[in-house]
Amino acid sequence: MSEMLGNQYFMARNYSAAQKEFEEVLLKYPDNRPAKKKLVVCYTQTRRLKESFAYFLDIIKTDIEFIVKTDTIRDDCPCAELIEKLEPRSTNYLDTFDYNLTLGIIWLYCDILQSKHYFTKLKKMEPSNLDIEAVCVEIDNYLLKVV
Amino acid sequence: MPISDNLKDHILDSIGEGVFTVDKDFRINFFNKSAERITGKSRDEVMGHFCKNVFRSEVCFTDCPIAIVLKTKKIIYDFENKIQCKAGNMKPIKLNAAVLYNENDEPTGGIVSFRDLSELETIGMNLQNETNFHGLIGHSKQMKDIFQLIEEIAETDAPVFVQGESGTGKELVANAIQKLSTRNKNSYIKINCSVFPQNLLASELFGHVKGAFTDAVKDRIGRFELADQGTIFLDEVAEMPLQMQIQLLRVLQEGTFERVGESVTRTSSVRVIAATNIDIKDALKNGKFREDLFYRLNVIPIEIPPLRKRKEDIVPLARHFLSKFSLYYKKQILEIEEEALNVLLNYSWPGNIRELENVIEYAFVRTTKRDVIEKSKLPPNVVEAASNGTITSNTKQFFSDSSARVELLAALEKFHWNKTHVAKELKIGRTTLWRQMKQFGLTK
Repeated sequence: MSEMLGNQYFMARNYSAAQKEFEEVLLKYPDNRPAKKKLVVCYTQTRRLKESFAYFLDIIKTDIEFIVKTDTIRDDCPCAELIEKLEPRSTNYLDTFDYNLTLGIIWLYCDILQSKHYFTKLKKMEPSNLDIEAVCVEIDNYLLKVV
Repeated sequence: MPISDNLKDHILDSIGEGVFTVDKDFRINFFNKSAERITGKSRDEVMGHFCKNVFRSEVCFTDCPIAIVLKTKKIIYDFENKIQCKAGNMKPIKLNAAVLYNENDEPTGGIVSFRDLSELETIGMNLQNETNFHGLIGHSKQMKDIFQLIEEIAETDAPVFVQGESGTGKELVANAIQKLSTRNKNSYIKINCSVFPQNLLASELFGHVKGAFTDAVKDRIGRFELADQGTIFLDEVAEMPLQMQIQLLRVLQEGTFERVGESVTRTSSVRVIAATNIDIKDALKNGKFREDLFYRLNVIPIEIPPLRKRKEDIVPLARHFLSKFSLYYKKQILEIEEEALNVLLNYSWPGNIRELENVIEYAFVRTTKRDVIEKSKLPPNVVEAASNGTITSNTKQFFSDSSARVELLAALEKFHWNKTHVAKELKIGRTTLWRQMKQFGLTK
């Protein structure tokens, strides 16, 4: 287990290998936020969206800025390139919950307003989903605070 | 007495090797002056940036040296790579990599030292004429015998098995064999078998197809395919896991292999030169190395003696390194004073020639006011160990206690092989000198 090795895999965009390292890091250090933040992205790429969303929610409930203030270039965040690959998907996929959730999560690393757009869509798709509601509240509160 | 951070920085800035360190996120947090010189990038430009964005090397995505150290927990030496310089050109380098750990034994960063291979190659070519045998240096009988053997076997395709302690020059012997072989115009691939974990080593040697394992994000050709019609040098071969040894045996016997994750059988015609620094008899006895593979590899065995068993090579090697560093650091220091020579001769050189080279470089860097290496400029641990060992009172004593051959060699070295001066020193005629040189097999 090594956070550093996980960081290298993440840098090399090898998400499944990075995921394995970060999972082990979090078993030992459950409060390791940098590992958690990267693991959120890894899970979106290995189709484990449930786990990704759980960690995502955990981070933004305690400190949404930790994700919002990501500098795509300075932090070598892959989210912009992932969005570029994901957004022009086929129309059949566009309205699925998972598609919008993936984009809602990874847009928060790049542009909070785009993220809000996807979570608003998700809220309409599942009005009774309390976790989605919680994300929307956090985003709105943050926007109110910074405006 | 511990040395201050300032002094450490000063030392790191005065050495010829580029050195940089990264934190656990792989952001550069130290970059010395030689790293600036080699890459053309200033410290301010790179500090805080991810190393992959600074060096833009292909291996950042496949075989990051620090990641290999993290996986194998072994320091990497002499890893060849290419990095991007400020001008945009890719520069070949040779690097060593290690990982820094905290008190809980968790990795907190990495350190990489590197040399400009093109610069080293130019220096090597300039110094080629000063070496005795295709990059190798040695006046001892043991080394002369090895040179002769290499000449005899170079043109065959038979596998060669080079044994010798760490730092004795196994790779240089392999290079000389390749250079003299009929395959010298074809590819020459080197791999250190000890630095890769089993799954990665299979992929390195035989290649893999996309999806074969977690890291296999695209198809990759292996070293045996790259070396087809050429030569492959398998360093630290005895460190190879047993499962891999079976696969290597098959390549040696049949010349066939499969890429990892693929069932297509491929062929490759490769001459194998293998090397190890461990006691191979022990490895065979303990079942760590397969006997059948050993006999396949050991068709032509070459055993390089440690430096402590061929002390007559110390002086010419030290002089060679002085010439090398004079070119590298662009300052002229070509002599070693007698007291310093005594230290070099009395030291037991557990790290062999690599250690001698490092010691000469250390003294070279520290010598700023004179053009001769003094005893006081040698590393204190070497001076101390030499004085605790078998002491000879002076160089002359050492040489006179040894054979007449060594005495003659010492005189030749002292006068840079100027026979007139040597004959005068030994109070013999030039013809007698020539006869003795012939008798002892002493040629420059």
